[in-house]
Amino acid sequence: MTDVVATNETVLVVGGGISGMTAALETAECGKDVILVEKEPALGGRVAQLYKYFPKLCHPTCGMEINLGRIKANPHLRVMTMTEVAAVDGKAGDYSVSLKVSPRYVNDNCTACGACAQAVTSEIEDPFNYGMSKMKAAYLPFNMAYPQRYVIDSSIIGTPEADSAKAACKYDAIDLDMKEQTITIKAGAIIWATGWRPYDAAKIQPYGYDRFANVITSLELERMMDKFGPTGGKFLRPSDGKEAKNLAFIQCAGSRDRNHLKHCSRICCMASLKQSTYIGEQFGEESDASASIYYIDIRAIDRFENFYKAVQADPKVKFVKSKVANITEDPETGDVILHGVDTEGYHRYDNRHDLCVLAIGMEPSVDASEIARGVSADMSGFIEFNNDGGAIFGAGCATNALDVNRSVQSATAAALRAVQVINRVSAAES
Amino acid sequence: MADSDTAMVERYRNSFLNEVEANVEEGDWVKMCIQCGVCSGSCPFGPHWEHPPQELFMMIRAGKREAVLSTDSMWMCTSCYNCIVRCPREIPITHIMHGLANYAHRLGIAPKMNPTRRFAKLFWDNIAQKGRVNEMRLSVGLYFMDGLASGIKKSMEMASTGWGMFRAKRMNPPTLFVHKGCKDSEGIRKMLKKAQEIEDRRKGLTV
Amino acid sequence: MGQANRVGVYICRGCGLGDRLDTAQLAQVADREGKADIVREHEFLCSESGVAMIKQDVASEAATHVMIAACSRRSKTDAFNFENVALGRTNLREGVIWVRPDTDEARETTQEMAADYVRMGCAEIKHMQVPKGNPDRGSNKRVLVVGGGVSGMTAAIEAAKTGYEVLLVEKTGVLGGMTGALYKRVPYAEPYGDPQDTGVSALIEAVDADKRISVFLNSTISRTSGAPGQFSVDIAKESGGTQTENVGAIIMASGFSNYDANQLPELGFGKTPDVVDQLGLEQLAKAADGGVIQRPSDGKAVTSVTFVQCAGQRSDKPGHLPYCSGHCCNTSIKQAMYFKDANPDIDTNIIYMDLRTPGNGEDFYRSGQRKRVTFTKGVVEEVGVANGSLQVKFKDLILNEDVVADTDLVVLATGQVANSGVDIDADAQATQEDKEAKVNQIKIPVESILNLQYRQGPDIPHLRHGFNDSHFICFPYETRRSGIYSCGPVRRPMDIAQATEDATGAALKAIQAVTNASLGRAVHPRSGDLSFPTFRREGCTQCKRCTVECPFGAIDEDEQSYPVFNESRCRRCGTCMGACPVRVISFENYSIDTVGSQLKAVDMPDEFDEKPRILVLACENDAYPALDAAGMNRLEYSAFVRTIPVRCLGSVSNIWVTDALNAGYDGVMLMGCKRGDDYQCHFVKGSELAHDRMTKIDDTLQTLSLERERVQVYEIAITDIQRVPELINDYAVKIDEIGMNPFKGF
Repeated sequence: MTDVVATNETVLVVGGGISGMTAALETAECGKDVILVEKEPALGGRVAQLYKYFPKLCHPTCGMEINLGRIKANPHLRVMTMTEVAAVDGKAGDYSVSLKVSPRYVNDNCTACGACAQAVTSEIEDPFNYGMSKMKAAYLPFNMAYPQRYVIDSSIIGTPEADSAKAACKYDAIDLDMKEQTITIKAGAIIWATGWRPYDAAKIQPYGYDRFANVITSLELERMMDKFGPTGGKFLRPSDGKEAKNLAFIQCAGSRDRNHLKHCSRICCMASLKQSTYIGEQFGEESDASASIYYIDIRAIDRFENFYKAVQADPKVKFVKSKVANITEDPETGDVILHGVDTEGYHRYDNRHDLCVLAIGMEPSVDASEIARGVSADMSGFIEFNNDGGAIFGAGCATNALDVNRSVQSATAAALRAVQVINRVSAAES
Repeated sequence: MADSDTAMVERYRNSFLNEVEANVEEGDWVKMCIQCGVCSGSCPFGPHWEHPPQELFMMIRAGKREAVLSTDSMWMCTSCYNCIVRCPREIPITHIMHGLANYAHRLGIAPKMNPTRRFAKLFWDNIAQKGRVNEMRLSVGLYFMDGLASGIKKSMEMASTGWGMFRAKRMNPPTLFVHKGCKDSEGIRKMLKKAQEIEDRRKGLTV
Repeated sequence: MGQANRVGVYICRGCGLGDRLDTAQLAQVADREGKADIVREHEFLCSESGVAMIKQDVASEAATHVMIAACSRRSKTDAFNFENVALGRTNLREGVIWVRPDTDEARETTQEMAADYVRMGCAEIKHMQVPKGNPDRGSNKRVLVVGGGVSGMTAAIEAAKTGYEVLLVEKTGVLGGMTGALYKRVPYAEPYGDPQDTGVSALIEAVDADKRISVFLNSTISRTSGAPGQFSVDIAKESGGTQTENVGAIIMASGFSNYDANQLPELGFGKTPDVVDQLGLEQLAKAADGGVIQRPSDGKAVTSVTFVQCAGQRSDKPGHLPYCSGHCCNTSIKQAMYFKDANPDIDTNIIYMDLRTPGNGEDFYRSGQRKRVTFTKGVVEEVGVANGSLQVKFKDLILNEDVVADTDLVVLATGQVANSGVDIDADAQATQEDKEAKVNQIKIPVESILNLQYRQGPDIPHLRHGFNDSHFICFPYETRRSGIYSCGPVRRPMDIAQATEDATGAALKAIQAVTNASLGRAVHPRSGDLSFPTFRREGCTQCKRCTVECPFGAIDEDEQSYPVFNESRCRRCGTCMGACPVRVISFENYSIDTVGSQLKAVDMPDEFDEKPRILVLACENDAYPALDAAGMNRLEYSAFVRTIPVRCLGSVSNIWVTDALNAGYDGVMLMGCKRGDDYQCHFVKGSELAHDRMTKIDDTLQTLSLERERVQVYEIAITDIQRVPELINDYAVKIDEIGMNPFKGF
């Protein structure tokens, strides 16, 4: 890792999700040198964990495959995984960034043949599935993972398990002596695309995410739809493994709420509308399976309105104008009972559902105030755009609650801002 | 469609909202409601409300003065604070409910026979007089306010509670006739009078 | 051409290949049948020593063409990366041993499978050349921006800041566009509390101050021709006269028109001047300039105003907009504040269905509430006039009652209609679906914006509702016209904040396009691809299919109807190649022969061997990765399939299919992406075209007396990792049922 070459004409992109990949590629395809760092062992970020995108109901790995193809083809772009930014120093056109590289214990020799995983028996929680399933402690993060290279989990380092993994590898790809490294690189501009994380659902006390097995988040539901996910592509209730056929979606779970996140997270309405179509996919369009969407306002803006209309036309989906007051659990069946008032005309309800999905809000993964001097944060911790002359540019959900399309826009705009700085640097130096 | 309120206040104008803001405790929060209904759903007395809090807020904004002030809905509030805790806009709903009730009472248009209102009044008169609650007078007054027959019936229902309170020395039959009060009843009355003046001034009721 | 091709075949024995396969036999196949010049085996080909071995052969010019027989072409791309070498990969790992059981019975068919893939790899590499880059490259780096609103000015300023010269063309006599007509704008930074200055004058100043930006007012584009890096445009001045300029890329920021509120008589528009649309209110606010807004009818100070959200929007009624314009909720809050800030006693009521203030709009919503703007969830049915006052008839959805409320002024929140020029597909798409869509006829200005001299029409294609963009999730900038990017509300309804970001991104794409054009490289999605289509004029029958079907408008026609390729406009999908009935179009590394020779190279068992052969032509972006992942998960499928990845199903030539059937294949599976409205093809129409073409194959099958089932088209998603093997296996069973292809052995 000491061979990383970067100059003050290099753009550093932090975060390898859709925004970071886009920013890195758009910059590199302008002929600029880019280093893309990602703290996880594979690129893809949050979107790689989604089953489908709204409104086209296409699969995120499809666009990702295009982007990976672009990455593989681009000599200007270098990807570093398991790498985090430890500190940023300097000024526009002349940053010095210290990077912390965690050991993967697997080197470039890896062919992804999977022999190490076969040799290892210990299991760890699978973060890709939000801990809903286990995986081997030697693993490929997911099917479409790039780099296509295994990881030995640090929990088995120093145990005989690690030795058997090493012994199983015929290609000398496992290096158990790898250590955490800190390296310092130069960069002319930095694009910060560290994305978002779901708001902690347990903090929304009345919904009992931490008490009731059958209250899950929208992100967990996405994993359930994956045939390689924790439930093999089925809506199975965590309480008893039975198929959930009557779902509840609670909008603004954490968002638009002064007790939690003050902003609207923008994507959650569309996400629940999208997820309501999964019901037809699971059980057939003519099935008796159903969903109720409990909402304050359905924010299907601009062309997404078409999608909303299509879902409204689906007799399986019911809309209830209500912020659910609280959830109780039927201890006999594990069913969840939603209590509240439909405010369109005042109707009380105590509705029983098999499974309740919290359309969970979005908060920045990294509080912008902790990034570096000169980066300003808004009250929610998103990066605020300013013209203070610095060259650390936010992209994607690090800057606001955005959907994929807007994240890509934001990342492309950030790429230009970075290119502007690099062009100024090169002009000054030539 | 024919609604007596329409004649009084122009619909969907701020006049009644302004009136509420000026006269009702925390009334300036009414405008912040987004009609999510979490308050209405969170209320343990929910089903007893003719108009739940969020609906009252919309009615205020719609200028339905008469309907709001004469309903017994806000008298249902038991101050459990569930609504305040859950309101995404941090609206102090409990306080507004009490404030609305208080305002309706002051205007004299609160429902006369509402038990909460009557209990509150009884309690107030009881305590304000001598600075100490007289449980005997309070209970008797409460149980017998609808007449002798219903009073006897209610007393019988509550007999075991009454017996318990008697044994715990919380209730002493002779005090029905002699209300001893606290040491300085006069001082308490003065204090309450002063407080009333301050409160009225705050609400702009006096100059 | 110079020296002859020398093919080196490198067979890997790692990852179990050496254990499962007889690689010596494979080497023999490469040598004897594949006629390779060098054949080498290696225990671990992607290792340093393996790669060094190949590099040495390349350096010594023992190999000009390298064919790697190892893992999937998607794996180990860093290791197998050689400059100036034609590189082929054949997939023995994910495509063979990982999808076959490690059993004695399976050994023979697995080996046959591997041997065929070696034959196919050898056949393909012979027809491949190192792409040299498109020779017809322009190096003009100027950027043309069409439209002088916020989007256009932002794009111009940002491109200029990056060091590029910009021509900014504006139809009217002033810069500023729609935003210029506003009194103030919705806030875009914390605390999101109050309307803010529009910023238009600052933008105009920045444009004027930048020497790299030339502004053309009262001007339109009367002609655009050429390609990225070498566009030629005529800028026509209103006063007459035309100026021809050369530019490298174009940003179309032609914005939107206000929906014609005259189509909403039920809401009182046109009946009284006191019903205005949002733009009309802005004019009143500008006139009042911070003072109390006056009623247009009598000049009296407005004491109450009602905002009707979604006026003629989110509606299926004829003449209404079916979509939501996204900005109008925030705009109405802003406009209500115009009144409240001037005089808090003015009553303002916003009647909405869903209040849509996403993101930090929630703060602005709160701010509006704090200023005592009343928000009413309801549906407005009618706006009437009585006794000199307006009466708004609506249903309050919360109180569940019908209401008539008096008000001095009504503001209709109408929508944005894209200024996207001529709908070039309007006539071509006279499908039933389209006729239904016409029910919602939206009035779209029909003057062309760009006047492209392209065979495919004068403007960039529209998608739904007259907005133009192509892929609105992962790659929002990718239009179907290379080097021309659209931004702002012409692309989708949007507010100023989003348009500003969008314009900045579009400026990057324009700059990127000129950079790539000057290097002869493709832009998205095959970015950096140096291959380009060439065509043999003497064989061409002037059928025009290539020019019609090119999704990117890259091919024009000359006077004799021969295609004229504009390589810089080409995205290298190969749709033209698939369209050409006489096979005269090809790429240096992807052609009728690179695929055709592969399928013919397969060793065809005779009818009595009971070993059918199924050809799979798989889209390289979705179906092929799904097949790879099936292998990674060791999901088994029939040993009788032979898979060839294709750039896009649109590049599949019918000749491959008929050749396959003539060669004795028992079935052909075409695996492409989802087609239709929510198409997932990155080349827009590939899957659709393949599907249409295969309906024509039906006739061919009939004349050959072959069953229709012998050619099947599938829609495969990249996540169909379990489904793809199932489809293959089901198809193998079906082939078994209908029997062997009678043409075997002929």
